[in-house]
Order: sequence, then C-alpha cells, then structure tokens
Amino acid sequence: MFQPRQMTKLLIAASKDHIEEVIGELYKRRLFHIEDYVRNEQEEWSGYSIGTSLTQADQISSELVKIRSIINNLEINEEQLPKADYTKQSELSKKIASDLPDIAARIEAILLKRSGLEAEQKDLEQKIETLNPFLAFQHPLEILSGYETISFLAGYGKGTPVLPSESELFTSPVRRGEAFNIVAVRSGQLAECERILLDAQFQKVVIPQEKGLASAAVERYQQQITGLQSEIKAIDQEFETIKKQQQLFFVSSEELLTAEIEQAAAPLRFATTEHAFVIEGFVPTNEAVSLVTSLQKATGDKIEIQELEILDLNEEPPVEFQNSRYAQPTEALIDLYVRPKYTEIDPSLFMAILYPLMFGFILGDVAYGTILLVVSLAARGFVKGSEMGTKLIQILRNCSVSAILFGIAYSEFLGTSLPWHPIWLSRHINMGGSASHGVEYVSHVPELLILSIWVGLFHITLARILGAKNASVMEHGEHRSKLMFAHIGWILVMWGIIIAIWSYFPLLLMPDLTGLPLIAGISSSALFGGILILIGIVFIARDNVLELMELPTIISNVLSYTRLVAVGLSSVAIALVTNYIAITMIIDPALKNFTAISIILLIAGIIVFLLGHTLNTALGLLGGGLHPLRLHYVEFFTKFYRGGGKIYNPFGMIRKYTEAEK
Amino acid sequence: MTEVEVAEITAMGMKSIGAALAVGLTGIASGIGEMSIGAAAVGAVAEKKDMFGLALIFTVLPETIVIFGLVVALLILFS
Repeated sequence: MFQPRQMTKLLIAASKDHIEEVIGELYKRRLFHIEDYVRNEQEEWSGYSIGTSLTQADQISSELVKIRSIINNLEINEEQLPKADYTKQSELSKKIASDLPDIAARIEAILLKRSGLEAEQKDLEQKIETLNPFLAFQHPLEILSGYETISFLAGYGKGTPVLPSESELFTSPVRRGEAFNIVAVRSGQLAECERILLDAQFQKVVIPQEKGLASAAVERYQQQITGLQSEIKAIDQEFETIKKQQQLFFVSSEELLTAEIEQAAAPLRFATTEHAFVIEGFVPTNEAVSLVTSLQKATGDKIEIQELEILDLNEEPPVEFQNSRYAQPTEALIDLYVRPKYTEIDPSLFMAILYPLMFGFILGDVAYGTILLVVSLAARGFVKGSEMGTKLIQILRNCSVSAILFGIAYSEFLGTSLPWHPIWLSRHINMGGSASHGVEYVSHVPELLILSIWVGLFHITLARILGAKNASVMEHGEHRSKLMFAHIGWILVMWGIIIAIWSYFPLLLMPDLTGLPLIAGISSSALFGGILILIGIVFIARDNVLELMELPTIISNVLSYTRLVAVGLSSVAIALVTNYIAITMIIDPALKNFTAISIILLIAGIIVFLLGHTLNTALGLLGGGLHPLRLHYVEFFTKFYRGGGKIYNPFGMIRKYTEAEK
Repeated sequence: MTEVEVAEITAMGMKSIGAALAVGLTGIASGIGEMSIGAAAVGAVAEKKDMFGLALIFTVLPETIVIFGLVVALLILFS
C-alpha cells in the first residue's frame, strides 16, 4: 500500500540457439524489466559484448516503414476505428507477406499520380497569374513579341512617365493612382526607357508567350484546372475506399510489426558471447516463479536463471505503484511530480484521502460540487484510452463528492444557504451590510482560519514522521539516526513554537495555556515550549547546521494552509456578489413593478446569474484544485519525499488489435 | 449624527481601505512574481507538452503572497 511493488532481480542465461524463444516468451508475458547491458571494463563482464539484432530485423523494419507511411498518407486516426476482434498473428503475418507489397505499390502509384496532377495544377495557376494583368489588353498577345526592332515592357507604375519620343504606351488603371502599362519602344532606346521607368517606380511583369486574347487563354487554363481537380477528387475517393477497406489491416499490421521489431532489436540490450547471451532485469516478486517456469517450458529447460542480490535497494529496482483501487487515480498526481524511489513511502494513499478533503474544504458548495460531479461523469467518455485523463477525471469525481459533503456541512448552495443551519462552522459572510436571499450572517472566519492552521500543523507533522520513516529505511550508518532525529527535531520546534504562542495568547479553538502557573516569571508552558524548541534545534543542527536557516519556514509553511479558507471565502464572495447583482439589483426590482421592460431585465438578470456562477465554478475548480496540489507538492512533499525512481517498464506491449499465439 | 457615530463610520471606512490595500498590493506583487514564471512556463510547455502540469504549479507558486494578503484582509474585516 505504502510501498511499491516488490521486485526480484533475475539473471537469465541461455544458448543463442534459444534466443528467439526467450525473447518471445518475455515479450508475451510483459513482466520483465530489462536492464540494458552497458559495455564495461569490469572483470566479471570481460568477454561479453552487446548483442546484434535478429536477422529478420531489416526486412521487418522496411515493412514497418511502408506501413507507417501508408498510415500517415491515408491519415488513419486510431480513435475513429470501429471496434474489432483481435486478429490472429499468423494470419496477419501471411497477409502482410502476400498483400502488403501490392497495396503499398498501388498506394505509391496513386500518390505519385496525385502529386503529378497537383504540380500540373500549380503550373496552370502560375500561368493564369501571369496572364491576369493583361486581361485589360484587348488585343491578341502574340503582337507583343517577335519583332526585330521593337521591344516591349510591361508592368505597374504610378502616374504617366515621360517616355522617349519613338515609343507607344498602353495604359489601363488598376487602383487609385496606379496603372498597368505596356510600353512599345524602339530596341535601341530600351535601356534608356527602362531607366526612366525605374525612376518612376515601375514594377516589371513578364510578358506571357501566348497566342490570342489573354481572357481566352485564362478561360482555357481554368477549364484544364477544373479537369485536374476532378481527377484529384477521384483519386481522393479511391484513397478513401482503400482506407475504409484496409485501415484495420494497416493498424493491426503496424502493431504486429512494431512488436516484431521490438523483439528483433531486443538483443541490442543483452550481453552476448559467441554462443550464449545473458539478460539482467527485474520482475515483480509474486510473478517471478511463473515467469521462470514459462521460460523453462519455452526453451525445454535449456536455460539458466538465477536470482541476483540487489546491491542498492534505493536506486536499482524499477518502481511500479501498488495501491488500492481508491488510491490509484492519485498516482497520476504523484507521477506529475516524480515517481517515488523503490524503498521510500509511496504517498498516494495519503494524497488520495487528503487532497479531496482539502478540495471540499475550499469549494464546499452543494451546487458547484454537483456541477463538477456531472462534468466528471460526462467527461469519462472523452478521455477513454488516455490513462492520465481517466485518472484525473476520477480524482475530480472524488473531489466533487467531497465538495458536496462540505457544502452540506457549510449549508451552501450557489452562495445562498440551504434550509438548515451550517453544521459547526459557517462561511456565510455579510458583505456590504446588505441582506441577500435567506442567508444568515454568522460567519466564523477567525475560527475557520484557526482550523486551517490545525490542518497545517497535522499535515506537516505527518510529513515529518514520514520523513523520519524514510530516513530509517533509505539511509545507512551514522547519518540514518541523525536524519531521523532531525525530522523529530523539526516536529519539536514546530510544536514548541505553537505551545509558546498558546502560553501568551488565548486563541479560538486552541488550548488556552495563559492561566498556567509561572516559573521564575515565565509561564511554565512557555518554558516547556522553549525546551522543545531547544531540543529540536540541537537535533536539527546535529544533522546539518545550515538547515537552521530554514527555521522561519516553519511559520510560513503552517500559515500557508490558511489559503484553504482564504481561497474558499473568495469563491463564496464571488457567489454572493453574483447573487446580489443578479437577484437583488435586477430581478427583484423587475418583479416588483412588472412592466414590459421587466421581461428584458429578467433575462439580463438570469444571464448575469448564469455567467457569474459559471465563472465561479471554473475559478473554484482551478483554485480548489491547484491550491491543495501546491500544499501537497510544496509544503507536504518537501519534508519527506525524494522521488526519482526508475519507472517499471516491462518488455512487451499491450496489444489492441492482434493476438499472440502459443 | 453624533460624534460617536461619525467615529464608528470612519473606523469602518478605514478598515475597508486597509483590507483593500492588503489585497490590492499583494495582488500586484503576485502578478509581478507570476509574470516571469508564466512567460517561462509557456515557453517550456510549447517545447514539451508534458510540462503543463508542472508549469501550472510553478505559475501559481507566488499566489501565496496574495493569499496572505487575503487572509489579512479577512482578519481586518471579520475579527
């Protein structure tokens, strides 16, 4: 529960003749976390080298590349695939061998044709582009070329340029002040003419080599483009048919080939000699025996398997969570931070309980809780397939249930009260001295603040206890006890400070120690608190003197928990303001003297009401979700959590479309 | 209006101004703090989508300041 899954380290050795059976079996069972063999100079590993991939790897990878490019080209989306039965591996392999080359060739041919057509279309569009300026020139285009003594220039320019005398200008206005000009000029004066035009900021365009009117040419090209487009459309339809017929084949082949290539490349992670190979890795302890048995069966008992001693428990074994169903969703939040180390306490369960409680304490409104509950139930369908998404939705569900329960206790419904008095503490605040609907103004803000400080005290104490526990397991030698005592020291200092405060200030909901007898002019409890602080400081300093610098963080960390109340009250206040504007200021006056305008006012009031509460639900989700998360990550985890464990990643694959055979 | 009433109303007004200052100034401070973190966080998320959760947490870290301000304001108004 508080520990990750127990792992056993195994060493598997066999002759290379059996390498395929061993890999196949390991892959099928999906239990063995392979530790990659890294070439090293240690004596015990002398004579070993990194293995080479199996012989068929080249062929598989070329097939895989084909399949993946087809999947890309056809834009097959796995999520849109219809549900289908598993395909047998042997059948699929046969089909890949017989059908894939043909299909791939066909698709390649189609793609080639398509890109050819597209290039042609681009070409025609380019031609139309060059013809467009000449549409206003109502003469055949061939008269603009083919002379020995006359040259032509065409382009856009502003104003009418002063040209050499032996030239002719055709001009047609385009935009304000700008015109399209064609200049015919004697070839000898071409350079001079060009310079004049350049000074007048003339932008040259190419004169197209066409015959007949420009408009006729454009029309001809447009017709050709339409023809090309319909051809491309036909190809797209053919594509779509292939996609419909074959997409399952492509996706399942991709899966099968990925599985095969992973297996074929596995020896790259093994240590091999000329005739044998060795694999090191981890398997969950409760599965070790069955894995060993099945490996022995697969190789006809021609395999050597040994359990190895784990030298460094903290660092070596991979980490797989092992939690009750209730705590499993919280693993997502832990992984968001970092995976725990193998030996340390997995805080998932603590967080699974405390996180929703804090969320509820902040949001605490029956209506908002219900909205979020409905959202979390409705969103389940959208995140199917995403493990992280499913887990987060489950956390949201737990949190909204907690918000509803706290809402019942606070007697809150969209900022107004439910037909009963709040159980114990109330958050109904009196804002601006004006009454809203059915709210009783007995807010217990100071009490709530003190309550949140209690939460902080216990949360941090728990964190320190866990810290001491972790130190006892993860550390060795002298440092172990020092670190444990340092954690106890932190607890002592914190409680010493709070006892000293109690001795001089009577606080709500906290023990009042101000009346205790004095010893030498100092309150006896303050003296006790002082002693606790001193002992604590000694314990901390014994481990690391520099840590004493961190002492003030005790106070800031505990006070940080007051956010539970502050964020909650801010959401209560937004709800109140929304109600006040929507109901007291708009709807009530409208209902009092009902006229035609009242209907518009009513609608406006309802819109304000809905907008305000939608905004507040979103803010409540954000505030209620992020702040407890922060309290866990920053205030809770920093006291004990180390993290940085290797993620357990067993060799194998979760198959979705294909079925392995014996 | 008697002098006592005037004094009471003035005191109430002063309290409100104090509460407003507590929330407003700390809000500005949080904003300044979150400014650079937010910019960096968006950059990090653009590079690597997985960073979103962590980036969000980092971004709200300076919010502690405004929350202390809010707590002080609540204490001024309600105790």
